[in-house]
Amino acid sequence: MSKIFIAEDDTVIREQLAELLKNAGYATECLTDFANSLEIIMNSEADLILLDINLPHTNGEQLLMEIRRRTDTPVIMLTSRSTEIDEVMSMSYGADDYITKPYNPTILLLRISAVMKRSSKETVSTSYRDLKLNSAKGTLSNEKCELTLTKNEMIIFRLLLDRQGEIVTRDDLMTALWDNEEYINDNALTVNISRLRGKLADAGYEDAIETRKKQGYILI
Amino acid sequence: MSFREYIKDRASLICITVAAWAMILFFFVSFKIRTDIIILFSIIYYTAAILRCIWDFLRRREFYNTLSESMKQLDKKYLLSEVMEEPDFAEGRIAYEALCEANRSMCENVAAYKKISAEFREYIEMWVHEVRLPVASMLLMSHNDGENGVKYGEQLRRIDTCIESVLYYSRSENAEKDYIIKPYELKRIFGSVAVKNREDILRRNITLSTEGLDKTVMTDSKWLEFILGQLLSNSMKYFAEEREPEIKVYAEENDNSIVLHFRDNGIGIPAADLPYIFDKSYTGENGHTHSRSTGMGLYIVKSLCERLGHSISASSVQNEYTDISVSFGKNDHVKPQ
Repeated sequence: MSKIFIAEDDTVIREQLAELLKNAGYATECLTDFANSLEIIMNSEADLILLDINLPHTNGEQLLMEIRRRTDTPVIMLTSRSTEIDEVMSMSYGADDYITKPYNPTILLLRISAVMKRSSKETVSTSYRDLKLNSAKGTLSNEKCELTLTKNEMIIFRLLLDRQGEIVTRDDLMTALWDNEEYINDNALTVNISRLRGKLADAGYEDAIETRKKQGYILI
Repeated sequence: MSFREYIKDRASLICITVAAWAMILFFFVSFKIRTDIIILFSIIYYTAAILRCIWDFLRRREFYNTLSESMKQLDKKYLLSEVMEEPDFAEGRIAYEALCEANRSMCENVAAYKKISAEFREYIEMWVHEVRLPVASMLLMSHNDGENGVKYGEQLRRIDTCIESVLYYSRSENAEKDYIIKPYELKRIFGSVAVKNREDILRRNITLSTEGLDKTVMTDSKWLEFILGQLLSNSMKYFAEEREPEIKVYAEENDNSIVLHFRDNGIGIPAADLPYIFDKSYTGENGHTHSRSTGMGLYIVKSLCERLGHSISASSVQNEYTDISVSFGKNDHVKPQ
C-alpha cells in the first residue's frame, strides 16, 4: 500500500483529505507538529507528499526546497492561491504537480495516481491472461487473434487492468476518459463497456469484466 | 492664436491709443504747431505702438501655441505642466504655476484613491483564499459522504464559481500584471475546465464535442480557464428545453489568428441584445425571462480577454445557437512544436 504524507494546517481539510485517501486505498500520515515539519516529513518515508503552501512556522516553498535537497519523493503542492506565477514558482522549486483549493476530489485522486505512476519504479502490467496489450498500436493480441480497441476502450481497459481484481467505479472510468479529452456521457460509457466485453468475448473471455451493482466494474 | 484674434482681444487698448493720439493732435492743432512736426510725431507714435503690439504678440504666441500643440499631442493630458517650459512673462507664469499646482493636487488625490483600491483588492484576494478553505473542506466532506454528498457538492461548486468571479473581477480591474503569457495547448486548458465541470455536464445530459483543440496559443492558463468556465456556465444556464443540449468547442486557424469557438444550441440571444452582452451590468431579455443574471460574467470575460490581448465576439440566432469566439493572435516566435 502506498503511503501519502499530508502537510496541511487546516484541521478539517487535513482530516477530510486523510479520509478521502484512505477510502481510495492509500495509507496516510498527517503533520500536526509544525515546528519540526521537515524532520517529520523526512522520517515518514512516504511515497508521496501533499504540501500546503501556507504552513505555520515555515512556508511551503522553502520546505519544498529543503525536501528536494534530501530526497526525490514526489511532492504535490496544495494552495488556495491561484495565479500562474505561484504555479510556475512551485514547479521551478521541484514540485511534481500543483493543485488549487477547493480541490475537486476526483481530480485530486487522479493527479495523485498519475504522479505515483510516473515515479514508481515497478513497470505497469501490459498483459491480461494470455492477451498482450499494445498501447501504441491500440491492440490486444494472443497467438490466435488480434483485437483492435478504440481509444475509449483502450482507456477503460487500461484502468481496469491497472486495478485488476478491484472494483473500478463508473465515476473513476469517467474521470479517466474525460482526463484524456474523451467527453463521453453515461450512455456512451455503457456502450463502450459492452463493446469492450464483446471484443474480449471474441478472444474467449466472456466474463472478464463483471458488473457490481451500484458499485462499478471489476476485471477478473 | 492668430494675429486677428490678438488684435480683437485688444480692441479697447487700440481705441485708447488712437483716442490719445487724437487728443494730442487736437492740442497740436490748437497750438498751431507745424504740420511736418505733427506728421513726424504721428509716425513715431504709431511705429512704437505697432512694434510693441507685434513684440507682445510674438511672445505670447510662442507660449500659447506650444501649450495648445502639446495638448493636442499628449495622450495623457494631465501631463501638460510637465512638458511645458516656464513662460517669461508675468501672466503666463501665473497660469503656469496654477497649472502645476492643480496637477500636483490631482496627483495626490489620485494616489489616495489608488491606495484605497489597492488595499481593497488585496483584501479581496486574501478573503477569497480564506473563504476557499471551508469550501474546500466541505467539498471533501461531501465527496467522502458518498451518495448523500452529491447534492451538497453541486451547491458548493456553485459557491466556488461565484467566489472565483469576484476574484477575477478584481484582477481584471487592476492594472497590476499578475498573469504570465506562455504557449499552451488549447485542449489542455479546455480539458481541465471540462473535467472540473464534469458532474454538472453529465447530470444535464449535455453532448460535449471538441475539434481541432490541438493548437497552441499564447495565453495565461488560469485566466483562460476562468473565461472558458464562464462561457460553459452561461451555456448551461440558457439551454432550450425542447432540444437535446449540445456544446461544441472547436478551433480554427487563420493567417494571423487562431479562433476558439464556443458554440451551444441553447435559446440564443435576441438580435437587439447582442451588441451589448459584453457591457457591464447588461442583463438583456434572457437575463429577465430565464435565469437570473448579474450582467457581470461576460463583462469580466471581455476585460480579461482585453488584458491578455485576445479579442472576443459573439454571434447568435435566437432559438438556434450562441457562438462566442475568442481570437488569439499568432506570433511567429512561437510556432507550435
